[in-house]
Amino acid sequence: MPTHECDVCVIGGGITAAMLIERLAELKPGLRITAVEAGRSIFDRDNRGAYHRRSLEYGEHPWHDDYIEDQQAKGMISMTMAVGGQALHWGGACNRFSVEDLRLKSIYGLADDWPIEWDELEKYYVEAERRLNVAGDPSPYPEDRRSAPYPQAAMPLSFNLQVLKKWAEQSGLRFSPLPLSRNIDKPFGGRGACGLYDTCGDVCPTGARYSPDFTYQQLIAAKKVTLHDRMLVRKLVLADGTDTIAAAQGYHQDRPNEVMEYRARLFVLASGQCWSPHLLLLSANSRFPNGLANRSGLVGRYMNGHKFISAQAAIDEETFPGQNMTHSLISREYFRCPANRPFVRHDTRVWESSAGKEPRLRDGGGRLLLGDELLNEWRSRALKGSSVRLRAYYDSHPSADSRLTLDSTSKNRYGDPMPKIDRQLDAASLARESATMAHVTAVFERMAKASNGRLVNKPVNSNYWDHPAGGCRMGASRSNSVCDSYGRTHDHENLFVIGAPTLPTGGTTNGTLTFVAVSLRSANRIAELT
Amino acid sequence: MKRREALQTLATAAAALPLTRLRQGFGAQVRVPLEAQELTSDQVFVLRDVAGTVLPSAIGRKGQDEAVDNFLRWIRDYREGVPLSHGYGEPRLVKSGPSPARGYRTQMDALQAAAKARGGRFGALPLEDRRALLDDAFKAADVRNLPGRPDGKHVVADLMAHYFRSSAANDLCYNARIGRNTYRAIRVTTVRPAPLKS
Repeated sequence: MPTHECDVCVIGGGITAAMLIERLAELKPGLRITAVEAGRSIFDRDNRGAYHRRSLEYGEHPWHDDYIEDQQAKGMISMTMAVGGQALHWGGACNRFSVEDLRLKSIYGLADDWPIEWDELEKYYVEAERRLNVAGDPSPYPEDRRSAPYPQAAMPLSFNLQVLKKWAEQSGLRFSPLPLSRNIDKPFGGRGACGLYDTCGDVCPTGARYSPDFTYQQLIAAKKVTLHDRMLVRKLVLADGTDTIAAAQGYHQDRPNEVMEYRARLFVLASGQCWSPHLLLLSANSRFPNGLANRSGLVGRYMNGHKFISAQAAIDEETFPGQNMTHSLISREYFRCPANRPFVRHDTRVWESSAGKEPRLRDGGGRLLLGDELLNEWRSRALKGSSVRLRAYYDSHPSADSRLTLDSTSKNRYGDPMPKIDRQLDAASLARESATMAHVTAVFERMAKASNGRLVNKPVNSNYWDHPAGGCRMGASRSNSVCDSYGRTHDHENLFVIGAPTLPTGGTTNGTLTFVAVSLRSANRIAELT
Repeated sequence: MKRREALQTLATAAAALPLTRLRQGFGAQVRVPLEAQELTSDQVFVLRDVAGTVLPSAIGRKGQDEAVDNFLRWIRDYREGVPLSHGYGEPRLVKSGPSPARGYRTQMDALQAAAKARGGRFGALPLEDRRALLDDAFKAADVRNLPGRPDGKHVVADLMAHYFRSSAANDLCYNARIGRNTYRAIRVTTVRPAPLKS
């Protein structure tokens, strides 16, 4: 059996692995780090312009072959499995969680507290923002304290967003530009400056919006990491008679019958909220019949994230759709909820929109419109006020039965059962669903009415949970968690889980910055142990 | 007219290009026999004639010809069996379907025949006759609105969609240099967009 030896074996090649490896390599020069990723490397910056064009014109997926067809999960929100992971095509939103997110039990008697003090996490937010070169402005809410400014000033608001900010703030809420991991006006980290192609969520032609492929290329070039891509780790193996992880067994896509054994002093599971608990469950053995790191029975439980409510508003103000549709405004007004009031927490987001203002082939009476008629009918709607897109990510907590399980009805080429994720709210969250909807609807209506506007549809709840996390929750005690606050598993001293899977709850806003911050904190701890 | 003839010649030459284009760097290669799908030179001529009716007069004859050329280029560069954006939420693997152009020749023949039955060249018919012809064709093809992208239901609806959903059409609608999805300096977007040059 071929073997590969290293000091630290990182399983997974997404954004948290990239940040952890970068930090580890700084703290421990010479440390032999190997990253093993099931998907392929897509290191073709030169083609990004062409991919951007094909994506826009034909709807083609810009990240070619970034998935493994028989390695898919039910309930997963993205198919991507490649070096860089889902952060190849994220929007770059870098919001911080607030103190309340970490103290739900203490303040509100809900869900659980995190085993980290917010002030400590804040230091890692600063570091994450520096590495991701986040552009943001100080929050207008003094509770959102910071120990250091953002590395860049916020992305300048488009004319449209300036108009919408003025409109939205008539409601009494205060808005800021969304903090973004995007090089605004000059290159950084080997990536170009923003050309405002407005396709950040698909592909950024200049690399201005951070994506981990750049970090991996730099780490590989500097010989700080060895990357084995297209290598699916199917099992973690214990050393005989102990709870120590001895090896990870991988299978290359081109050599499905050959086992590659990775031997390391320390293993880091960085495969996200789906594939991290999945590997632990798959690795069950006689000592751990329910899966590795699972003496608590909590691997694959408390799968979280947040639900969201969306609506469209029509307002009188004039905007010009298409200026910067991927940028938005955020209000953190409802990040805090007084403990003596009914619990509701959410962010409030505002985008420019062209909804209802698209060209139409027929008029209201069904008459076919040709040439100038079509243009004139389009103008009659488009130039009359503006559409606004509204959304609120709201705090909703998982039950223990919000689970990832092994689905025996769906197997990969090796016969491994694939994950099935079934997210469930806890009883308290379920009980306040209608009150949350009523509250968010009232906020949206208040905003719309501030300018003679109106909601053009009834706000709708999401059919999936965004920014999914959980499955290997961190905690202070072995009985209620899989790992400690650094991601070190309680059952295996040389096995860490990092990033999204470790979050006990999913917060009320985009999660990636938090996934990165907790991973950087893990890196410090891992460096101490190696 | 000479310029239009020249464009027609160019279109014919492009249609006669041998065989296929191969995907490069996109995983498995997909071969698409192009010449069987492309419009004949006569049909391209008719499509330009139809463009005068279905595209805005504000872009002029030149702009309408350019819109037809862009549409033909889009068709020629279409790739079958390529994974489409699988996005977030409830992703599933969907691949691009057969080229929308597969039915275009038949559709153009039918349109030409219908125009002939009403008295001759499409562009020379009274506006309401032209509307009726297209209305019948669209209804028969189940075209209810402009498709998001050309989908092959009807070549004229696809031409209209390709133009009216473009960044240029968005600018024309708002009479503003917005430049949606094109390279722009950020500072350009921070002010009210300048009007288009008349």
